[in-house]
Amino acid sequence: MSVGKRLRLPRLTGAGSVLLLTALALLMLVGLPLGYIILQAVFPHWTRGDLSGAFTLFIPTLLDPALLKLLGNTLRLGLVVVAACALLAVPLGALRALTRVPGGALWDVIFLIPFMIPPYIAALSWMLTLQPRGYAQQLTGMEANHFLFSFPGIVFVMVLNVFPVVYFAVSRTMLSVGGRYASAARVCGANKWKTLWRVTLPLSTPGIAASLLLVFALTIEEFGTPAMLGAQAGFYVLVTGIHQRFSDWPIDIPGAAVLSLLLVMLAMGAFYFQHWLVTRRSYISQTGKPAVLERAELGGWKWPVMVLFSTVAFISVVVPILAVLATALTGTLSGGLVLDNLSLRHFEALFANRGGAMQALGTSLSLAVGAALITGVLGALVGYLVVRAQVRGKGLLDLLSLLPNTLPGVVVAVGLILAWNQSHWPIQVYNTSAMLLLAYTCLLLPYPVRYASAAFRQMGESLEAAARVCGAGFLTTFRRILLPALAPSLLVAMLLVFAIASRELVASLMVAPAGMRTVSTFVFGQFEQGSPGVGMAMSAVAIFTTTALLVGLTAFSRKRLAVTG
Amino acid sequence: MVSRRLSGPAMAALTSMLLLATGASAQAQALTVYSAGPDALIERLAADFTEQTGIAVNVFQSTTGQVMARLEAERANPLADVVISASWDSATSLADEGLLHEYLSANANQVPDFLKTDYYVAQGVSALALVWNRNSDSPAPKDWSDLTDAAYANQVTMPDPAQSGAAFELVTGLLTSMGEEGTWSLLEALVDNGMIVPGPNARALNPVLQGAKSVVFGAVDYISLGQQADGEAIDVIFPESGTVIAPRPMMILASTAQPDEAEQFVDFVLSEQGQKRVAESYLMPARDDIDALRPTLGELTLIDVDAEEMNAQRDAILSRFRDVTGHQ
Repeated sequence: MSVGKRLRLPRLTGAGSVLLLTALALLMLVGLPLGYIILQAVFPHWTRGDLSGAFTLFIPTLLDPALLKLLGNTLRLGLVVVAACALLAVPLGALRALTRVPGGALWDVIFLIPFMIPPYIAALSWMLTLQPRGYAQQLTGMEANHFLFSFPGIVFVMVLNVFPVVYFAVSRTMLSVGGRYASAARVCGANKWKTLWRVTLPLSTPGIAASLLLVFALTIEEFGTPAMLGAQAGFYVLVTGIHQRFSDWPIDIPGAAVLSLLLVMLAMGAFYFQHWLVTRRSYISQTGKPAVLERAELGGWKWPVMVLFSTVAFISVVVPILAVLATALTGTLSGGLVLDNLSLRHFEALFANRGGAMQALGTSLSLAVGAALITGVLGALVGYLVVRAQVRGKGLLDLLSLLPNTLPGVVVAVGLILAWNQSHWPIQVYNTSAMLLLAYTCLLLPYPVRYASAAFRQMGESLEAAARVCGAGFLTTFRRILLPALAPSLLVAMLLVFAIASRELVASLMVAPAGMRTVSTFVFGQFEQGSPGVGMAMSAVAIFTTTALLVGLTAFSRKRLAVTG
Repeated sequence: MVSRRLSGPAMAALTSMLLLATGASAQAQALTVYSAGPDALIERLAADFTEQTGIAVNVFQSTTGQVMARLEAERANPLADVVISASWDSATSLADEGLLHEYLSANANQVPDFLKTDYYVAQGVSALALVWNRNSDSPAPKDWSDLTDAAYANQVTMPDPAQSGAAFELVTGLLTSMGEEGTWSLLEALVDNGMIVPGPNARALNPVLQGAKSVVFGAVDYISLGQQADGEAIDVIFPESGTVIAPRPMMILASTAQPDEAEQFVDFVLSEQGQKRVAESYLMPARDDIDALRPTLGELTLIDVDAEEMNAQRDAILSRFRDVTGHQ
């Protein structure tokens, strides 16, 4: 009997089995921890193996009068950051894709750096720069305390952190939308602006909408910036409430789980809006015909555009990094920016490997590479599954692939612990570094999935049909036809995953096995223990190492894959 | 059935996970210690212990909140053998739930009675203090209530008692020594004077280090004493009217598979060598026969807080604090 089954198995190869495996992987990675969080929210005593008191927490938690305020603040922050990101990054991305901006690919590397600065480090850098007696006041006599600790200040810092998501999505999408339709429009007599507004921009909707959805999800779950700036601004969001429940004894995991489900619902609303937006009509613009993208000359606009790019780079990259370096290179914070106070002692402490700094760097980098590879492969497959496969429940899979992005890292981490720290698993992954890899893969899968599914939406199905007619199986088609067309978007998504995984803090704090450190847990520990100088020195080393790696990788991939223009 | 046929990428992902998993399982026999508080201290204690006994130690170091959240999430399958927390109440609750292993180390003889029970014992003790930036324009404060003066307008920060166990202890200490009325009117006056409550200890301290603010109302002392020793221009001032202490309980989980090794570890931390390490972190050693680098219990004016009574009112106190400070 079993022989018969085995004999029939090969028929399942190709599209069917790969997609089934993909769906299973998604369920394991995302569905499992999410399921445990829901169980925890429903059964408050779940961790003790007690099912009593089901749903008793929902009413008191949800009826808390403060909750409505938190919910409103979260929503307002999410929407304003999305709007600001769109205003800033869509023009930047469009300019980069459609015109010859001097510097070209260099800007891509520069705009990836904000992503490698952990949000709480960026917020701290801005605090150290703008608060009274901060670096700005020490250098120029100016401070901006009131601006920084206010709603606009929080939006400002958060936008600088996340705008690259939109920038890359817009520039990659517009690259692959190609010049053909634009040329056609121009032939028909449309001028440059009309072409942009009526053809290129609308055809790029999937990419733009997907990236704005990511920004929304990222903003409502982000902890570092609201925690750093929010308390002084008197501005609280749901995530601050969730973290409060984890911050001191007694710990309230069930309450945090209930609040997290609210975040999930907010994100679901955004998801369905985006879904409605991109499935209303077809955005197919890649048909396989070679399209040579003619980038427009900027002419007299060259200098204004350069000023725009440089200003954004200065504010989003140079200022925070200078603040990091200033803190790392001065002996004491109270000593300020004077020559006497210049000191390498924090770096010496690092390189003396105090507290395993160098191992932490190695751990973070290898985990980030692993996470980028796994999420890249899985993201491409899930993206395909969601856009192309004719299966029931694919909308659910699509949603599932976004959810980790809306859940606060700490809640995903708790879900993962609840799911994997069980004695019934044949292999114990808990308390090993595999846990960190699982956490990063789960948390960061949304990036490749969003980028990949947006790219698939723009690809004509005729390409696959042609491949199949020529006798190619699913794997061959995927590898030879779809993957190359997908490469520009997917690579950028993987770079983002690498950048974020190399500095992820909140989940790492929870699931890092005893005896193992990552860059972020090391840095966080230094701040907690009152050594901000050592923490900043480690941040600087990590930011420069990851940037160097990315520059190397970009140079390599440009040669080998001809990915970027 | 289908899952037997793994696709290439899935296979690669699985193998890499397995490789990582086996890498870590080689040290499965080590003692696992979860510790809140000074990173350098627990690393040194672990290294010294391993050197002396040959028993490897895996350390998870974080904040009390993270350590406790992890213990809670791991209830189905606890991994820690020894836990060091910065909150005495956390140990009391765990003991009440029957989760702790009964052990009183012989080395605890020199530990004062109020810092030990049959289930847990203090590793070291910190106290709460005023931390003042010497470069600031405000004068050095002497007592808690000084900070309501106009000289400190918009110059004071305070750690959030909802996020820092030590800050909560301070509020209970003030409630004990000044009474309800006195405490809340003091806090109201401070808030009217522009005091901010930016978060846990480190976040209240950073603005004072750089000079954006002048004084922390109720900082954990050992961290600032360490920074002062590193050259930061700050002073740690213990108020004349009295302050509270935050002993750091050390305990063995009842679920441990290695009770003997765990007991050895506790013995070691309470040994002369271990307590000297504790002293080097500017904490007060739990044993009264070890010299400290800082003022000790006998030199501080302490407020005697009825912790049990205060903890019963925890929610009410925190909610009143939120009302007073306009927090959330």
